[in-house]
Amino acid sequence: MKKYWFWISALVLVSCQEEVELPLANLDQMVPVIEANWTDQRLYNEVRVSLAQSYFDSGSRNVISDAEVTIRELGSSKIIRFGYRPETFSFRPLNSNEIAKIGKTYRLEVKWKEHVFQAEGTMLEPPILDSLTYEFVEKKPFREDGYYIKVFGKIPFQNDNNYRIRIIENDTLKNGRNDYLLFDDTFGLNFFEEGLQLNYAFDAGDIVSLELYRLNGEMYDYFTQLVNLLFSDGGLFSPPPQNPNTNIKLIKGKSDVLGFFLVSPILRETVKIEAKQ
Amino acid sequence: MPKPSYFFSICFSILLLFISGEITAQDTGQISGIVLDAINSNPMPGASIYWENDVSSGVVSDLEGQFSIRKTTLPAKLVISFIGYEKSIRTIGANDGLKIVKIFLKPEDLSLEEIIIQERRPDQQIKSLETGKVSVLMETIRNIPALFGEVDLLRSLQLLPGVQTAGEGTTGLFVRGGSNDQNLIQIDGAPVYNASHFFGFFSVFNPDALDKVDLYKGNMPAAYGGRLSSLIDVSLKEGNNQQVHGEGGIGSISSRLTLDGPLFSEKSTFSISARRTYADVFLKLSGNEGIRNNRLNFHDLSAKFAFRLGEKDKLTISSYQGADFLGLEDSFGLGWTNWVSSAQWNRNISDKAYFDLQVYHSKYNYKIEFDDVDNGFEWKNNLSETGAKAQWSIASQADFQAFWGFQTQYYHFAPIELLPLGTNTITPIVTNPKNGLLNSLFVGMSHAFNSKLSTEVGLRAGFYNQVGRGVDYLYATPSPASSDDIIDSTQYKTLQNIKFYQGLEPRLAFRYLVNEQFSIKTAYNRNFQYVQIASNSSAGLPIDRWILAGTYVPPIHADQISLGLFHNFDQNRWEFSVEGYYKDFRNIIDLKNGANVLFNDNVETEILTGKGWAYGAEFLLRKNLGKTSGWLAYTYSRTWRKIEGISQGRAYNPRYDRPNDITLVLNHEFSPRWSAGMTFVYTTGQAVSFPIGTYVVDRQILPLYSELRNEDRYPDYHRMDASVTWKNSDKGKKWRGSWNFSIYNLYGRKNPFSYEFREIYNDDITFEKSDDGPVVSARPGVVMTYLFTFLPSITYNFKF
Repeated sequence: MKKYWFWISALVLVSCQEEVELPLANLDQMVPVIEANWTDQRLYNEVRVSLAQSYFDSGSRNVISDAEVTIRELGSSKIIRFGYRPETFSFRPLNSNEIAKIGKTYRLEVKWKEHVFQAEGTMLEPPILDSLTYEFVEKKPFREDGYYIKVFGKIPFQNDNNYRIRIIENDTLKNGRNDYLLFDDTFGLNFFEEGLQLNYAFDAGDIVSLELYRLNGEMYDYFTQLVNLLFSDGGLFSPPPQNPNTNIKLIKGKSDVLGFFLVSPILRETVKIEAKQ
Repeated sequence: MPKPSYFFSICFSILLLFISGEITAQDTGQISGIVLDAINSNPMPGASIYWENDVSSGVVSDLEGQFSIRKTTLPAKLVISFIGYEKSIRTIGANDGLKIVKIFLKPEDLSLEEIIIQERRPDQQIKSLETGKVSVLMETIRNIPALFGEVDLLRSLQLLPGVQTAGEGTTGLFVRGGSNDQNLIQIDGAPVYNASHFFGFFSVFNPDALDKVDLYKGNMPAAYGGRLSSLIDVSLKEGNNQQVHGEGGIGSISSRLTLDGPLFSEKSTFSISARRTYADVFLKLSGNEGIRNNRLNFHDLSAKFAFRLGEKDKLTISSYQGADFLGLEDSFGLGWTNWVSSAQWNRNISDKAYFDLQVYHSKYNYKIEFDDVDNGFEWKNNLSETGAKAQWSIASQADFQAFWGFQTQYYHFAPIELLPLGTNTITPIVTNPKNGLLNSLFVGMSHAFNSKLSTEVGLRAGFYNQVGRGVDYLYATPSPASSDDIIDSTQYKTLQNIKFYQGLEPRLAFRYLVNEQFSIKTAYNRNFQYVQIASNSSAGLPIDRWILAGTYVPPIHADQISLGLFHNFDQNRWEFSVEGYYKDFRNIIDLKNGANVLFNDNVETEILTGKGWAYGAEFLLRKNLGKTSGWLAYTYSRTWRKIEGISQGRAYNPRYDRPNDITLVLNHEFSPRWSAGMTFVYTTGQAVSFPIGTYVVDRQILPLYSELRNEDRYPDYHRMDASVTWKNSDKGKKWRGSWNFSIYNLYGRKNPFSYEFREIYNDDITFEKSDDGPVVSARPGVVMTYLFTFLPSITYNFKF
């Protein structure tokens, strides 16, 4: 609905926009930002630690490389240690074969200076992703003409139905604020079996990959709040802007912390769009 | 439309001619006179003249405006009337028979001073017991320069001290620290749940259809209740019982027409009114096919019928219906409708005792439809309130008045339904309905201890039941955090009690009259509110979720104390007042971060509860009489909320906390033809949160906000509007028109409507990352949206 409100506002109002400068306060403390992904895909398993910076500070991001990062598998003595990789500006498992296992709960621990941060997440069983199909759709209201993909699968779970889909088009991740495809079971899950149509018009020859994540509730809420923030225009119709609620807790020291610890299985399917016959 | 009555008027005049002929023949002594136009002293032929106690005695004035009428027992009242002019009643004494009586009649639209005198006594603010009450004359509202030329009741009320606005152009009212849903807006006693058109930029009130409006800023009489912060009591205009009148206007974005007059006989009247916008017409002029196919309009219809059933009884029936519709590309539609109706029976039991019975029904609904084969849906909801109120009043002595009665209100918030259309395979959503029954008893009295000290005391007792049919959930914790905490649920039958609350609402006011020009008043009142909107945006939306008090959502209540000093001077031409208040709110709600309340059957899991307080001082200098009228108002006020889970549990200001507020409203009548109006508004900027930094997650650069809410301010807001009105003063004609030329935001101030903190790509604020090609550069920026700079409009108004 957000885009409708935007459209409505733009249509109804005699409005103008211009870029302005505001005397914003500077960030007067170091706020660590932790972005941790722990999945069953080795490529995606990494922890990025950085610092927030003042709003108009357009310098490069302050990446933290001297943190101590581990992930502990709860219920066992297994500890996965991470080391900093300058080429990716992130921490990666020292043993690259380590991945998240279904049913296990993991605890992330990041030690930096006198601070200790922790977060937990459970690796949930993935749903079934059967296939991707596509068809050519003529132009119609709110839609360009092009090839539209349908995702077929099955979600057999009663609980923890929180999902995110990411789309990679010709090796480029679609990462705009309209590209967060999040769904839960509010509207049921039959549509996933019947075929969930993605709202993208692709061209013939495109190679499209789809990644399906099954998220813990806190992470689903995090992404929902993140999208709200991306769409917040600061106007009367928007709720007061708030940072997404992180699932990371401060265990020792005194510091704010931002970011998330995501534990999820990832299903991936790829299709190449062939021209309409 | 006016022809039948006009015909009757002519017949009546002819009849009078015959009658006068007979009387002249009797020649038992005559009173002679002349009827003149008050503006230009021209003689007025055809005016009707008759004794008030003997209508059959009537005559009409001749071509020179002269008349002679048979004497009656003197002194007696002589009535002089003419279509389009104010009726004049002159007491004729025994000595008047010796001279020519001169009668001056004023055209109706130029009788501003008379209207003021009739609707509001000049010394009312000194003598009355009410504090925090403002009566606004419709004539005054019509003279205020208006956005798009659309005279707007609610926007005009924002110019009064103690009333804040959410933002540029919107009609939402925030009265003495209360939120928009804490205002009881009613038309002839029936509540209106969404009093706005166009997402809040216009209110539902067609000014031509209104008789008057009273605003109570908290100290409402015990006969009223159900909202914490204000009562906006709007009365539809009752038709006159003489002849059919019409008035209307053709404006920049809408036109309107109102007709009123006698219905069947002079014992019953009608008044019907209509207004419609034609923004669609302008959309069709667009070169963009996508915009041409859109629809955008609203309309208002209202009617009021009054029947005098005898010497002691009167029945009034009113109805208002208004709707908005937005259609995009023939496939998306959003519409919402208000329909409120009421019937009132007034009975004069005796000269000192009265009885009023009122029944009403108010319904609000919205519907969103997306007609698409794959993703189509229909989303709709409606809510209604049905009520009855009986009130007895006595005024046995001049220094004692009392009233008592009861009110029953039934709230029905129907299920929110979202149904798939076409081949859409989403599961339909139908939430559980919510119902509430509020029974209230009220009693009040006013008493003058002596010529200086008077009091008004009242008590309202509310007995509220959340009732079935519906489902109530039981949670594992007293403050439900998630639907996962549900441990049981109970299905309730129709009207079966689910949860009971009660509240006593005392109302107390004192007035001490220091002298005829100066009084001191103080008041205390408590109000309970059992319905509210679960929202944390500042402006109301048509899809706002109204919720009822229930097991986990207690009713909100507020206590307010106020003290006022009131002074009139220069023979009541000027009024000055200072009012201070302190208000304490309990059980105020806000929403959790990312809350979903629209399709949620467990709204209580998305709510945070706390308290609030507000205080302020309101200064008002007003001039009602004379060629120059208007007011200057200054308000200093603060509003605070303290809710666990927001702003680290510390007190914060809601967006509409605007400490300094100055308003100047001026109207001046240069001549009978020319008049002008001007308003100037200055307020502290809205309380908002600006980011203090940025950070990167998930490949997004996000603004970083402080955990403390609304620590920042928009720049101060100020604006000046002006209007000029030219009237056709040719009084001999039945049709009288006027042109109004208005300019909103005269000096083009760019007041921010919003600030958007986002990345700006390729140094272009319109560049969209996903759609507009490769990103060459990206940096954080601030994009300001502003509205309505130097917006002229023109309106033609007419009367007949």
